[in-house]
Amino acid sequence: MSRRAASFILGFALALLVGGGLWWWIAGRKESGRGHGAASAAAQAGQKVSFQLFFPADGGAIKAEPRDLQVLDEPKDRIHKILDALLVGPKAAGLVRPFPEGVVVGGVLLGRDGTAYVDLRWPNHEEPPPGGSTEEIQRVYSVVDSVTLNIPQASRVVLLWNGVQRDTFSGHLDLSRPLVPDRSR
Amino acid sequence: MLVAAQGGPAQTPAAPPPAARPSVVLEGREINVPVTLAGNGPMFGLTPLAEALGGTLSTDVSGESVSLKIADKEVVIGQGNAIITVGDAIVSLSQPPVQGEGGLQVPLDFLRKTFGDLLGYSFDWRPETQRLTIARRGTRELPVALDVVHLQGMTTIVLQFPEEPRYKVNRQGSIIQVQMLADRLTPPAPKEIQDPLVQGVTIDPGQIRVQLAEGAQAESYVLEKPFRLVFDVHRTSEVEVPTSPSAPAGRQAGIHTIVIDPGHGGTEVGAIGPSGIQEKELTLQLARELEAKLAQRLPVRVVLTRTEDANLPLDMRTAIANQNKADLFVSIHLNSSLGSGAYGTETYFLSPQATDTRASSSAATENRAAAGSAPATSDAASSANPANPANPADDTQDLQLILWDLAQTHHMTESQRFANMIQGELNEMLKLKDRGVKQAPFRVLMGATMPAVLVELGFISNPDEEKKLKDPAYREQLVDALSRAIAHYKALVENQPQSQPAAPGTAPQATPPAAGTPAPAAKPPAKVGRPA
Ligand SMILES: [Zn+2]
Repeated sequence: MSRRAASFILGFALALLVGGGLWWWIAGRKESGRGHGAASAAAQAGQKVSFQLFFPADGGAIKAEPRDLQVLDEPKDRIHKILDALLVGPKAAGLVRPFPEGVVVGGVLLGRDGTAYVDLRWPNHEEPPPGGSTEEIQRVYSVVDSVTLNIPQASRVVLLWNGVQRDTFSGHLDLSRPLVPDRSR
Repeated sequence: MLVAAQGGPAQTPAAPPPAARPSVVLEGREINVPVTLAGNGPMFGLTPLAEALGGTLSTDVSGESVSLKIADKEVVIGQGNAIITVGDAIVSLSQPPVQGEGGLQVPLDFLRKTFGDLLGYSFDWRPETQRLTIARRGTRELPVALDVVHLQGMTTIVLQFPEEPRYKVNRQGSIIQVQMLADRLTPPAPKEIQDPLVQGVTIDPGQIRVQLAEGAQAESYVLEKPFRLVFDVHRTSEVEVPTSPSAPAGRQAGIHTIVIDPGHGGTEVGAIGPSGIQEKELTLQLARELEAKLAQRLPVRVVLTRTEDANLPLDMRTAIANQNKADLFVSIHLNSSLGSGAYGTETYFLSPQATDTRASSSAATENRAAAGSAPATSDAASSANPANPANPADDTQDLQLILWDLAQTHHMTESQRFANMIQGELNEMLKLKDRGVKQAPFRVLMGATMPAVLVELGFISNPDEEKKLKDPAYREQLVDALSRAIAHYKALVENQPQSQPAAPGTAPQATPPAAGTPAPAAKPPAKVGRPA
């Protein structure tokens, strides 16, 4: 990992620890305020863009589902909205949500080197959900692919769980370094 | 400072500290050691430090692991693995050693846990001046107690210390010298020794000298809590010099030691079946059954990474295989999936993304060496790689890098071959749904210095497969198939060394990576993740 990436993560982790509740509270207020049609809503509304969301599918696969989302031009905003929609779950039959209900996007950062840092949070759950290899691959790559295959500025993803980067989520994939999309499908 | 997703424009990460030239000072004198300032702390060139502090570096024949001999202890380092072994102890580092300027680069805690603990050096790193100061710690005064016991034709000499001294054992003919490297001994009262195998033991502040009787020889070992250095002395003709059962001296050609890794354990349960059965229980059961099967079938030494229901970090599992100088590493898992309808077996080997930080270099080498059988990397990744071995610079660092890559490439080719054999046997014997041979950046396969695979023996998320997996007769068939694959691979390696192509029927199989994708006629293994 480059020094820059490492200090980025360290800073991120520190921000989470130190700024903690206040920071997230403010972020949450901003988010909810946005939905309530403030005066600047028109300027903030952005535009509707079509994306491919990658969901776990029957047979141990990952499959794309097209989705139109209202987004700003800013890549970080797009990543956040894509992941929000991904975590809510699919509309088509044969696809399933990648993480249990209650898992939310805690924060998104996008480094200049194309690394997207995605913090997934699951209140009251210290550990990510357990599972076998295929399950872990489906979970992790539904996020990695949904980010990297939709956002040209993000070529790779570092996943954090409750604000902390881990060696692995469920005992298989190495999450200590950035992941690139799985184009084997 | 950082911004939230909803916040203002992206800001750059913290700027690096003002540039001061990093330096290394040993006992007041600056020595020439390359220092790299990594994100997790400084990294130091090991070669010049070993030379200055007293350690001997050597590279494994295959070039994949590095051995550092300090005093009597061997330190085994697998590049990219944050776990090293120091003698019999497994030590976890803050960050893995990597190839860089001046050869292998190691973090500060590596220096403290090797040269520090073994030779009594202190290492003081000051980020503000970027200076590493190395000094001898004050010498300790250690009282030593001596016991000599003769029983049933063998003499045991026990030297007991309040804490582990920093020492080195030298042997010359019938004299064994225990030389103190940084401590001073307080000798016990002199003792008359009347022993048929030991003529005398003398203890000075700087050394212990054992004089054996003619025709006697001794093996030494240590006991902990309190620290004891023990010599078993016997007549030369009575016992052959034993090699330690826990760690063979070197790796010989062929498959002699197999490490089986039962996936998960302790609070890390793995997949959970509809009936509530947990992956960690079945993996341990299958690993034990495979161990027993191999004991019947093959003249190999089998080591399990865990034998009870306990948490075991993934890096530790690989380190156990490296420490045991295993020739083959098999991690056993049971699968689960989101969504329905997944069943069958699959075998993984490491994807090149994961082999080390210079993944693209590795992948580029692999593409040339494996002539199409290995996975391809993107052009962008290869051309952007400054250490692309297609244009090797003629300095030793690049050569070391290439050797490392070639070793990894060799392992990956062998891992793929072995994985194909496993899938072949599972298909042959059980007619199971073949999900094929795949690649993924699995952490447990990283840093292994031998062919290594992770085999998924069925989906416990599938009620039918879960039921079958609970049946001992069915597991017996699975274990039989695995042991046959191991036997075939062993025979192949031992009868057809290096240059032989894969045996008939072991060519890479077309692997449907996911439902809905038509598989081309000849296709590399399905791969999760590409070189970053
Ligand atoms: Zn598993």
